[in-house]
Amino acid sequence: MVKKKVLLAEDDGDDNFFFVYFLEERVDISILNCVENGLEVIQFLDALANNEDLPDFILLDQNMPKMNGLETLKYLKGNARYASIPVFVYSTYADQNLAEKCGLFGAALVHQKPTDKEGYNKMIDACIEMIDNIA
Amino acid sequence: MEATARTYEELLTQVTELQWQLEEANDTIEAIRTGQVDALVLESENGHQLYTLKSADQTYRVFIEKMNEGAVTLNKDGIILYCNSQFATLVNTSRSSVVGAPFDHFISLGYKNQFKLLMERGWKEDCKGEVVLKARKHPVVRLSLTTLELDEGFSLSIIVTDLTAEKDAQKDLKNKNEELERINHALETSNNDLLQFASVASHDLQEPLRKIAVFSGLLKDRDTNNLSENAQVFIDKILSSAERMKQLIIDVLNYSRLSANDQKPEHVELTEIVKDWMTDYEILIREKRAKIYFDQLPVIEANKGQVRQVFQNILSNSLKFSKNYVPPVITITATRIKDKNFDAAPGNNGKYFRISIKDNGIGFDQKYVANVFSLFERLNTKDKYEGTGIGLAVAKKIVEKHNGLITARSTAGVGSEFIILLPVAQFY
Ligand SMILES: Nc1ncnc2c1ncn2[C@@H]1O[C@H](COP(=O)(O)OP(=O)(O)O)[C@@H](O)[C@H]1O
Ligand SMILES: [Mg+2]
Repeated sequence: MVKKKVLLAEDDGDDNFFFVYFLEERVDISILNCVENGLEVIQFLDALANNEDLPDFILLDQNMPKMNGLETLKYLKGNARYASIPVFVYSTYADQNLAEKCGLFGAALVHQKPTDKEGYNKMIDACIEMIDNIA
Repeated sequence: MEATARTYEELLTQVTELQWQLEEANDTIEAIRTGQVDALVLESENGHQLYTLKSADQTYRVFIEKMNEGAVTLNKDGIILYCNSQFATLVNTSRSSVVGAPFDHFISLGYKNQFKLLMERGWKEDCKGEVVLKARKHPVVRLSLTTLELDEGFSLSIIVTDLTAEKDAQKDLKNKNEELERINHALETSNNDLLQFASVASHDLQEPLRKIAVFSGLLKDRDTNNLSENAQVFIDKILSSAERMKQLIIDVLNYSRLSANDQKPEHVELTEIVKDWMTDYEILIREKRAKIYFDQLPVIEANKGQVRQVFQNILSNSLKFSKNYVPPVITITATRIKDKNFDAAPGNNGKYFRISIKDNGIGFDQKYVANVFSLFERLNTKDKYEGTGIGLAVAKKIVEKHNGLITARSTAGVGSEFIILLPVAQFY
């Protein structure tokens, strides 16, 4: 099975820890990198010379300093090289309002931050299902 | 023959003469009746005779004396020829010292010029104006000027209306309006504060809470074997407290949001609302073996999401606060009523619906009726019945936002009835 490469943008250290801790056993994904905000997402992507090295999907935290999830989403969807990468947004408080705004800019899914392993797995399942549907 | 002819001619003249006199008498009577004349001079055998119409004169005088306005008549020089007692009272003097004085004398200094112009105009045409009188209370008055033709020649009559009460009322209204504006402004500010708080609550407060939950979960799962039984219980308590706090935050957030984002009212089918609720609560309804009865429920104009919330909060209470071992029975009825009153009589054209949701649950003492609708107020310990005490506060706020009313009638150990009055249509 080809592992899907995921890039996580998350400023909160604990949340980074949860992500890796709960998901490291999964055989269908590999965590490409964890960066701290939208600017770092762009820096990281720009540094990748080969298109094959680009992530298969990106998970953005909404509340991040400097460049938040929505702003990062807008940038990525407006960039020819990155526009086709599926982007997911998650937040502690993901409400209808956030979902609508993100949907407008092409986010594939907006998710409430999970509170346990099961929740994390479900979130990733949903992301992968979405990617497979798009493909 | 000749004599007869003359007599005929004579009779004819006499008839014409009499007819003319009759006509004149009729005119006079009409003039008296309409008040154009109140004295007349008649020619009689004993020369001219003056008949004053005492009764008519009397009526006018009493009328003028009794009316609320002041009344004066002035001659060409602005000297007061007559005044009623109301005017004398207005300027705090006796009538005898008013009559004979120039009217100008009673006008406050700053208004003398204005009055002069007004009087000049008044001699030419009927007019009105406002001045302040020189008197103890400096009353603002309206002067209505009109000329009168009297025996003595032309005079100017002025009706003096005291505007003090009117002005006071105007000032009062202005003050009240300003006060209202101030309160509205304060309300807006506090509303914004509340919304800001809500946003902080929704995001920032929930983050640490979520971490408490996640880390507690980690502790519990991974290291189960190393934990004493007590420690396991404690972790469960941490988890349930975090869960409860999360619910509280979400509830407060929803409550505060009710003040904002007003949506346009739409047609809401109450039957559909109840049926949807039954679908959502299917499992619990089955578990409790609850029976829900409702007849034809109306369609009202309202905010659908909010009405849904009102029904959900009340109906789920009826399920929750049921007696042990007694299957809940919930009955929903609606009646169109004549006016906005819980006990109003039914009326097909009424502007309101009275909606009743009745259960056979544990009920409560009627003296707590106000408490159950307050934020966070609960009558039972949370060990027995879980909840945050916000459901009915939300229901009340929504109902009142729709210009409705809500109350409850309950007996402990027997059951409760929640009564909602909602307008058939919303007028915005
Ligand atoms: N149908 C009912 N029967 C008996 N008591 C009720 C009923 N509905 C509400 N109450 C009382 O009113 C309180 C407030 O209700 P509510 O605002 O919905 O809060 P919650 O359900 O979260 O406790 C409840 O805690 C309960 O004591
Ligand atoms: Mg409740």
